[in-house]
Amino acid sequence: MRRITQADIEQLRRRINDAAERAIDNHEPVGRPTPAQQPSAPSRHGAFRLAGEERQSSLGRCWLQEHLIPNDRMHGTIRVGDLQLMRGGWLTSVSDGEAQPVDPGRWAFLDTETTGLAGGTGTCAFLVGVGAIETGGFRVRLFFMRDYDEEPAMLEALSECLNQYDALITYNGKSYDVPLLETRFRLKRQACPLGRLRHIDLLYPARRIWRERMSNCRLGTLESEVLGFGRHDDVPGALIPHRYFNYLKTGNPAGLRPVFRHNVLDLVSLACLGAVLMPTFAAPGETTFRHGEDMLGLARWLRKKGDREGALELYRKAIRAGLPPGCLYASIWESARLEGQAGNRRIQVRLLQDLSRVANPYRGSAFEQLAKYYEHREKDFRAALEMTRNAHLHAPSEDLAYRERRLLRKAGDDARAGVTRHARIASRESVPFRPTVADVAS
Amino acid sequence: MKIELNPESPAVRGRRQGLSPISRPDDSLDGVIERFEALQRRTDSPVATIRKLPARDPRWVDFPKEIDGRLREALASKGIEKLYSHQAQSWDRIANGKHAVIVTPTASGKTICYNLPVLNGLASDPSACALYLFPTKALAVDQLEEFNSLGAALESDIRAFTYDGDTPSDARRVIRRRANVVLSNPDMLHSGVLPHHTRWARFFEHLRYVVIDELHAYRGVFGSHLANVLRRLKRIAAFYGSNPQFICCSATIANPKELAQSLTEERFDLVDDNGAPRGEKFFVFYNPPVVNAQLGIRRSYVNEARRLAESFLERGRQTLVFANSRLVTEILTRYLKESVGRPPGGQAAVRGYRGGYLPRERREIERQLRDGKVLGVVATNALELGIDIGSLDAVVLAGYPGSIASTWQRAGRAGRRNAASVTVLVASSAPLDQYVIEHPEYFFDGSPEHAHVNPDNLEILVSHLKCAAFELPIQVGERFGPHDTGEMCAFLQETGVLHHAGGAWHWTSEAYPADAISLRRITSDNFVVVDISGGSKVIGEVAFPAALTTLHEKAIYLHEGQLFHVDRLDFTERKAYVRRVECGYYTDAVEHTQVERLEGFDDDSLGASLASHGEVRITSRVVGFKKIRFHTNENVGDGKLSMPEQEMHTTAFWLLFPAASLASLPFSTTEIRDGLVGLGNVLRTVGAVLLMCDPRDLGVSTSSSKDESEAVLCPEIFLYDNFPGGIGQSEPLFRMRASLVSMARELIESCPCKEGCPRCVGAPGEVGEKAKAVALQLLAALTSIHQQQEAA
Repeated sequence: MRRITQADIEQLRRRINDAAERAIDNHEPVGRPTPAQQPSAPSRHGAFRLAGEERQSSLGRCWLQEHLIPNDRMHGTIRVGDLQLMRGGWLTSVSDGEAQPVDPGRWAFLDTETTGLAGGTGTCAFLVGVGAIETGGFRVRLFFMRDYDEEPAMLEALSECLNQYDALITYNGKSYDVPLLETRFRLKRQACPLGRLRHIDLLYPARRIWRERMSNCRLGTLESEVLGFGRHDDVPGALIPHRYFNYLKTGNPAGLRPVFRHNVLDLVSLACLGAVLMPTFAAPGETTFRHGEDMLGLARWLRKKGDREGALELYRKAIRAGLPPGCLYASIWESARLEGQAGNRRIQVRLLQDLSRVANPYRGSAFEQLAKYYEHREKDFRAALEMTRNAHLHAPSEDLAYRERRLLRKAGDDARAGVTRHARIASRESVPFRPTVADVAS
Repeated sequence: MKIELNPESPAVRGRRQGLSPISRPDDSLDGVIERFEALQRRTDSPVATIRKLPARDPRWVDFPKEIDGRLREALASKGIEKLYSHQAQSWDRIANGKHAVIVTPTASGKTICYNLPVLNGLASDPSACALYLFPTKALAVDQLEEFNSLGAALESDIRAFTYDGDTPSDARRVIRRRANVVLSNPDMLHSGVLPHHTRWARFFEHLRYVVIDELHAYRGVFGSHLANVLRRLKRIAAFYGSNPQFICCSATIANPKELAQSLTEERFDLVDDNGAPRGEKFFVFYNPPVVNAQLGIRRSYVNEARRLAESFLERGRQTLVFANSRLVTEILTRYLKESVGRPPGGQAAVRGYRGGYLPRERREIERQLRDGKVLGVVATNALELGIDIGSLDAVVLAGYPGSIASTWQRAGRAGRRNAASVTVLVASSAPLDQYVIEHPEYFFDGSPEHAHVNPDNLEILVSHLKCAAFELPIQVGERFGPHDTGEMCAFLQETGVLHHAGGAWHWTSEAYPADAISLRRITSDNFVVVDISGGSKVIGEVAFPAALTTLHEKAIYLHEGQLFHVDRLDFTERKAYVRRVECGYYTDAVEHTQVERLEGFDDDSLGASLASHGEVRITSRVVGFKKIRFHTNENVGDGKLSMPEQEMHTTAFWLLFPAASLASLPFSTTEIRDGLVGLGNVLRTVGAVLLMCDPRDLGVSTSSSKDESEAVLCPEIFLYDNFPGGIGQSEPLFRMRASLVSMARELIESCPCKEGCPRCVGAPGEVGEKAKAVALQLLAALTSIHQQQEAA
């Protein structure tokens, strides 16, 4: 065996430093240790200067902190006490029927703070927060490892805590927190408590509702835009790993206090967001949402679930509530299709005609649908031909050119047979109904 | 010209053993060999050597009793009723729990050597898992088909998948959960599997076999990286309580067992007694005729290779031409396309093949070769690895491939089981080519090269230690391979990526270390080539270092023989914009290399000079280019370029000549400088022979440095490891310095040229007229004093 000596390391250090100075295309910044960064183990003997208490078990020690957010506290526009109104069955509707009802007292809200976003086995959750709805308010328990050797005890404490619950509620937990914790439990050869819990990731329903209105659906964005809660002196998520590493080097936990607070606030926001989202999914018809875009999101969810009537109702509500042009045209187009499927041809045609009158992304398609309608339903080849030509004007395609040729032939046959449907077109035009967006919505 | 494709398409020839090949009436290859023989009898014949490798009968062995009945039936259904002796031997070793390395030539049924024990193992234990590693994604895809065709017949629930960068993410989840055979590559294992090992827990818990095919590909840096990736693999396997058995397959190299052992750090049994049959095979050494004896100038080997290839293609013989560089590959593709043309309404009869082509295009060419739809292919070493392209009638090597192993490997592409085949080596005027032509025994009787790896290259080692720490905390006292990790971990703590707690070192960085480490080169960067002649279409990709020499502005980039002018090289976007042109010339970049000593590890006087080995920094920069006319190779212009510097740390062997030792020589400073360059060329050739390595693995450079008094310049010659960090070739060169010098002297003295030629110090046009004389004087001084010292 060749022993790596101090001299080898010296040589390597020199080489790396040298390379760092001269690198042209250096992807990985190589930091040189400065005296300030020299490690000094955190003091274990002195009192740990963060609120909370040490927990000790056969697996070692770790640090616990507990908070109770009282019912009368306002989190933005939401009263924490409103969490008491949650219903077990709401889990089922918000998860599209995946989760069975669970009593809200047995819901665990979970959020982690980690040493990075890279994923993989080298990323660690150093702080895990669990929130629960209790009679006295919203209880948050924080599980913290003061150093890497406290991870087994921390995971054990977390596991014991989660054993009291039956459902797990997270934000982006499906792709982030849960796989990460599963990895941690596996690495420490401990049984993972997460598999037993019914997991609801609120990111997905939140996206359904707010995708159109929000620039992104991050928890922080929804917290301020939906819950109306503003944070002051919050630590940006990107700096959190750095705060922890810095604490490990210096032993001073002062920089971590905002991180703990960040985690508590994330959990309160998560619970409050649940209080906003879940009742809406449970009873979409009675939604309290005021924004057209939000209703559009809900309408689409219902459409996907196959609730045609409920969806149409919400499309109408959304259009009435006011929508930006892009969403408006999409809503008309989508509801036209639904009306068609429901057999309401008249309304469908009116909606399509609406779309065919103004410039919008669906105009060409609306003409094409109208052309099909006139050709196959009404057998009015001239009207169909006119619609086809209009469609071709807006979105030229081979199919349309072919349709046009076919219609020309058919319309020609009609003419030879002495059949004219002009009168009919005229009579339809004279129907004293001028469909407008407002009419449709009413 | 009309070409009739070979009526007996290779598609109908059985590649797999047991299918009886269709017998061919014309085993003499249409008299090709007779014509070479006739040519050889002439005086000053370009045909230097014709070797006939006789046909060999198969050696059969009955199926071992222990093999699962279903598996035996599956093989029988594919026409395999017996095993070749080497297959049976591999079975024995592996069944006895030994790690085995199998060395057999192309198309000898080596995949059965590992598929048989693995499938049998899986048949008896359905939960068992196996990992197959191939150096390229294409090989994994190729082998999956082969594996599945056997596995399917087994009727047991074997689930084999490829897992690489192309695998979609939903498929990845299924593979992790269900696969029991995963075909992947070292890069994917390094960055996609090991850092996520918890998701592969089931796979690692049941990992019984690790198969490493194309072992010989893992030399130099790539091999040094792989050895460390395997250290990590074994560490993770141990975490899940498994201890897999390694099965390796290699083409012929001098030290397969040693290579397998240094890559895996396990003890191996070697199986190298090939029992597969072979058709008669001819090997022709062809040296282009001398056109100027004084200057040692021969006819262009590229044109000669083209003529020979044409003569095979015209007879409808499927032919593979290997060239040693992308440029020559493209030039030959162009020439052959011009002369062979395409059959009416058909595919191009000749195609190019090299690394920079897009994967889809490469798969298409491989398929066309297999199906006999393309008659000739001009390729770089990209086709050297075991991709299934069937067997061809003829191989033309345009220039000596640089190593015995890779020459045999390429020649192995020609060869039918029951029919004759021919390989022609067309020598260039490079010293090593000429050496091989004049010493056929060096090639035919000599041992192939050693594959060198240096798993303990400190930079590589430390990079992988970071990855290892990311994967699992490193326990205090834990070893990584044979290494104590204490010092390295302390060092990594200083750089802030590790943290010591509770008797272990933990990864404390946001970074994902595997992303920053490419197993194959310094940077994982590459350039895409965008054809903007009418629209914009990506036609290829080029690795960063190669892009500097082939995609600089005003360069002529060749793709399948088509010329493209590089309009713009966008460094930040890593794109080169090219336009189709027809211009009658191509470009060749001019590169300047500088060597700077960093630290000497050891030195000793060698005659008047001082020989040392140690660490150096190599800086190279493309400074310009030459325009060279097709066919005549005239230089028809040049241009200056300003390109960024490339830098590499490596190890080197060097000779320093004190100014005083040269003062007495009757030559001018310029002449001495030329002589040093010439001597450098010779030392590199001899060094490659002594190390048994590919000469491209050795870089050569001359420079000069101030002596201790800072008064005069002392010239130096460096032979450096052409890999970042070095792969351990410099220390042996230092040890063999006496032989190096005496063999160099012998080589120059025995060369019949007057003033130097490409066979020795280099052509006078390149190294000056006195180079040979100066080099001899330098060597004489070195050796005579050296001998005096030894005598004393």
